[in-house]
Amino acid sequence: MKKIYICLGIVSILTFSGCGKKEPESAAKEEATAPATAPATIDDANAATVTGKVAFSGDKPTMRNIDMSANPACARAHSGAPPKSEEVVVNDNGTLKNVFVWVKSGLPERQWPVPSTPVELTQKGCMYGPHVIGVMANQNIKIVNNDPTNHNIHPLPKINQEWNESQPPKGEDKLKRFAREEVMIPVKCNVHPWMRSYIGVVNHPFFAVTGDDGTFTIKGLPPGTYTLEAWHEKYAPQDVQVTVGAKESKTVDFPFKAS
Amino acid sequence: MSDQDQDKDPVVHSSLSRPLFIWSALLLLSLGWALYDEVYGIRPWKSYQSHFSKVYSRYLRSVRPNESTFEKQIQASPEYQKLDRDAEAARKTVAAQVEARDREVKQVLVPQTLALNDPFQEVRSHIGSLTYQIETTNSQSSKESMRREIEQIKKEIHTVKLPMPDGTTKKVDYDYARMDRDLLAWKNRKAQLLQEIVDLQKPYTELLAARDKYLSDRVADVSSGMLAGLLNKMDDFDIGVRQIHIKDVDLVDRCESCHLGTREPVTLTKAAMGGEEVFVSHPNKELLKIHDPEKFGCTPCHGGNGVAVDSIEKAHGSNEHWLWPLHSRENFEAGCQQCHVKEIVTEMAPALNAGRELFRLRGCMGCHRYEGFDREPEEMISVNQQIRQLENQKAEWDREIGFTSDKADRTRDNAEAQRLYQHANDLKVRISGLDAKIEQADMRASNLIREVKKVGPSLKEVRMKMHKEWIPVWLQDPHKWRPGTKMPTFRLDQDDIQAIAAFIWQSGVTGNLPTSSPGDPVKGKESFETRGCMACHSMGEGNDKEGGTFAANLSRVGEKDNYDYLVRWIHNPRERTLPYCPFEKRDLTEADYKKKGVPFVFDMDHSKCPNDGHELQVEQMTPMPSLRLTVEEARDIASYLLTQKHFDATYPAADYLDDPKLKTHGAFLVRYYGCAGCHEISGLEEEQRTGTELTKEGSKPIERLDFALLGHGAEREGWYNHKGFFEHKLQDPAVYDRGKEKPNKLDRLKMPNFNLSKPEIDEVATFLLGSVDSALPERYYFEPTDQRQDVIEGWWVIRKYNCMGCHQVHVGQTTVFMTLPRYQDPDWKDQRPPSLIGEGARVNPAWLMRFLANPALSETDTNRDGVRQYLKARMPTFYFSASEIQKLVRFFAASSSQSMPYIDPKMEAISDQERTMARQLFSSEGAPCLKCHATGDAKHDQRATAPNFLLSKERLKPGWTERWMVHPEMMQPGTAMPSGLFRREGDRWVFAGPTPPSFQNYPRDHADLLVRYMFQFTPEELNRLRASAGAGAGR
Repeated sequence: MKKIYICLGIVSILTFSGCGKKEPESAAKEEATAPATAPATIDDANAATVTGKVAFSGDKPTMRNIDMSANPACARAHSGAPPKSEEVVVNDNGTLKNVFVWVKSGLPERQWPVPSTPVELTQKGCMYGPHVIGVMANQNIKIVNNDPTNHNIHPLPKINQEWNESQPPKGEDKLKRFAREEVMIPVKCNVHPWMRSYIGVVNHPFFAVTGDDGTFTIKGLPPGTYTLEAWHEKYAPQDVQVTVGAKESKTVDFPFKAS
Repeated sequence: MSDQDQDKDPVVHSSLSRPLFIWSALLLLSLGWALYDEVYGIRPWKSYQSHFSKVYSRYLRSVRPNESTFEKQIQASPEYQKLDRDAEAARKTVAAQVEARDREVKQVLVPQTLALNDPFQEVRSHIGSLTYQIETTNSQSSKESMRREIEQIKKEIHTVKLPMPDGTTKKVDYDYARMDRDLLAWKNRKAQLLQEIVDLQKPYTELLAARDKYLSDRVADVSSGMLAGLLNKMDDFDIGVRQIHIKDVDLVDRCESCHLGTREPVTLTKAAMGGEEVFVSHPNKELLKIHDPEKFGCTPCHGGNGVAVDSIEKAHGSNEHWLWPLHSRENFEAGCQQCHVKEIVTEMAPALNAGRELFRLRGCMGCHRYEGFDREPEEMISVNQQIRQLENQKAEWDREIGFTSDKADRTRDNAEAQRLYQHANDLKVRISGLDAKIEQADMRASNLIREVKKVGPSLKEVRMKMHKEWIPVWLQDPHKWRPGTKMPTFRLDQDDIQAIAAFIWQSGVTGNLPTSSPGDPVKGKESFETRGCMACHSMGEGNDKEGGTFAANLSRVGEKDNYDYLVRWIHNPRERTLPYCPFEKRDLTEADYKKKGVPFVFDMDHSKCPNDGHELQVEQMTPMPSLRLTVEEARDIASYLLTQKHFDATYPAADYLDDPKLKTHGAFLVRYYGCAGCHEISGLEEEQRTGTELTKEGSKPIERLDFALLGHGAEREGWYNHKGFFEHKLQDPAVYDRGKEKPNKLDRLKMPNFNLSKPEIDEVATFLLGSVDSALPERYYFEPTDQRQDVIEGWWVIRKYNCMGCHQVHVGQTTVFMTLPRYQDPDWKDQRPPSLIGEGARVNPAWLMRFLANPALSETDTNRDGVRQYLKARMPTFYFSASEIQKLVRFFAASSSQSMPYIDPKMEAISDQERTMARQLFSSEGAPCLKCHATGDAKHDQRATAPNFLLSKERLKPGWTERWMVHPEMMQPGTAMPSGLFRREGDRWVFAGPTPPSFQNYPRDHADLLVRYMFQFTPEELNRLRASAGAGAGR
């Protein structure tokens, strides 16, 4: 009999100790506050370099003439010789111009210093120059109107914020910037529908645009393995893996083919 | 008793201490238990509360340093510092002046006033008491003496020690008048000085305010001051039941006894609250603003048992027999439906809206009545009834007029005769009122014939439209042939299919179709992809599917349709082979017209029955509009569509479709399965719905939901509730036949399978779960009597015709065009149809009415869009009824808070000089207006991307036009219309580019000038403008 009572007692103790709401076991996770990473500096002593060229093979596409007749102010700037579309520009040495080459992935999570000098995008003869530019996120882009006509600058990003602003003839320069990485942002002018430019916005300084010789150089890379992407407005982008050691220089070529 | 027994006498031989100890221990323990249970056991919320207070304080402390370091960062920013410095500088420049004034107030005026005030008050009260005595005494002599006494007192000299700024005092002799004068002067002087101080410090205080605003603009959530306040609140946290009591409804909700973070000003996430979901903030603060919990409580929206606090199960109402359990996560918007029962679109309830739309679009309403859905047929009955009643009333009054007049003629008393004549006349006037009412009802009735739509295509047209062999294949399994189609899969065997197909085929009408020559499929593809077809229709199969889901996927149309029919359909889908007479209940034929000698023409303008004058159904009952394409373009599109097919598909011959023996059984089955709920079928035009009404299905007693043999299983598995019933039924409509012995197939459940996806099932279930016979009082229902009612009504029309496939109608909405790959290209982006957000503020409602009725804005030149000829996509003609147009116009007005009717604001006339100026500006190189806006010049307009200014006056509202010119990016971020055309100069807008010389010394607002120019624009002025622009171009 005693045992029963003891049992009862124990059972009851166990029962009510099991009652009540259990304190949640999971300890409160502190909000992960992103510590402001100190701006990374480029370690010149160990920096690696990647250079290369963008080769073009196949038939060189002929670009159409741009008809500016509806806009005499634009046409006059080209004095009779209508400019050609810059969709595909093949250099005389068989390389491709206006290819945006950038380190797509592989970089350590760091904040890279944003250059204080702006990148210039001009409107001259109702054409954008340069046709392709690269900037760092939050780096200023200086937009200049050298034409005697009104332009409007209308970037059409998918990630960044879209805007469309008018710029009067020889009007005040505009300073604009994009906060988020986006490759590429097409830019157009609604008034002159042929005008087109592309802006590559990257979180780091490791990018380049091929020029008249079709080459590119990306300097100051920390040692590591990277994916480089070459982007062209007409042809599909190409990726290449490259590993560089400290102070190493490597060459990477991108072959583009006429489609 | 033996000695041995005596030895064992418990009193003598054993100690009771052990049992006593055990019992007392047990007693103590049960006391402890009772106390614990009293305090915590039946009050689980207490431990929630103490835990909340702990984690919340911890969280607040953890964010505080961040907030304050962030604040410090802002305070350290150059902008803030500059404002701070400027404020300080502004303070310093006036410091000396402020100081001098302050000193005068504090050291001179205030102490001197104080020193003089006492003697002054003393004398004044003495005078006051004497004056009272004069007023109350009767003796004239004592009045006189007291008056003299007052004069005496006023003359008395008081010596007052006035404190001086240097700390000394100065004795001054005062009589009463001087005291009064000085005090008043000092008071005025003090007020003047204080005002001067305020004025002097104004730049300083303004800068200070700017500085503080700079900070508050940048600290998004809460300031550190507020956090400190919240922390203090947590320190004094008081454990107790927290309840909302709404007296008039007798509602008590204690949910916040555990859900303590619901209304905290800081946004609390699960992670922030140590993983405790119970403490998170309400996810939609805006929703709470509209439905203030102090007025609405919690359970009316969420369900659950608001009073219960002793266990989660009871509080959430998931215990047995509780009628309103908490809505689960995937169905929580069900709570909206019970009060927003009249709506098809409820803001901030996307899942519920999707559920309603599925219910409508998939044709659930074809079989199941649901109040408000597919209401036109019911309204038609009630309107016709109303007409009959009015006509009866009219006849009755007519008789009474006759009697009354007769009686008046015969009465001998003139006055009485007069009264009776008057009464007869009154009745005549009232009858004319009835006539007006009948006219309205008649109009409504003919509107309604236009408004009735069917979910599926008319089956009267099958012989004209289809390949015969396709029909049985389709009936077998529509979803296999066209995945995702609206037509559900019925559980039919081969005999059923043959009978149904044969009936449908044999009941189809025949007629003449013009034979069309073949079109160009390449051109047709381009038209199909750009004219707007894809806002409703999709093309491509599987992952390649692109386009809208409102109408059918057209990937295999080439396997089933006749070319000539398709051409007619694309050219005008409303055109039907024969008109239907609802009065005679049959389709009229050419013979009917011939008999009466009338040409066989039936359309919107010829909609009366030649036999009896009744209103005919002259349209196909499809919401598909006419794009006003040329016949050639319709041919191109039809030719393209016919290329869309599986080339390896084969169809067995189906000659039995012509077997008359199958027809009767087929008709029975078609009626049995309720096909006429969604299709127009000969002979079944007036069929009733075959399913159960669902308006209150969510609150049907659970025992009346037939779980059949699955009831026990459902209870075991925890889905013996409405949610479980709906979900299983929607997943597999035959589920409750499982295990049942039903040899006669007509006894089986007949609801077909819609092949809904899991999210779609959740959406429909949400809608059904909210469809309850609500116990809430009337004031909870959303039945506005103001403009919001117009919004509710308008949404039904907008959904019915899928306006949202092309247009953005509300903020945050995605159109089909926005998803089409072609329209992602920078150049094609401008080809998307216009956004209609703010349409009511933009356009004149009278114009909008005209445009909706005839989007070409022309009776003759219909192969165009009335406003945006530059768009490839085109606003189609929907053949809206008058009341649909009214509803749409009111909807847009209400959505933009525009009062109706609209009265044109009076506009200041533009002077000739101003007109010239505006023209010069419009045509100058510095202004881009004419580069994009159409001018009516064919060559120029090839490149135009914006409407002609000639439309402005009729179409736009001037206030909107000015706002648009100045800030287009505010209304439509990313619009082709550039921002920054004007800059602010003082209190006016000035054109930002170079202005023509004539603008020199023009003092007025440039934006206003251009608006007045546009609103007083004439065709002649357009010619002048074009000439001027041409001259400019030639320069």
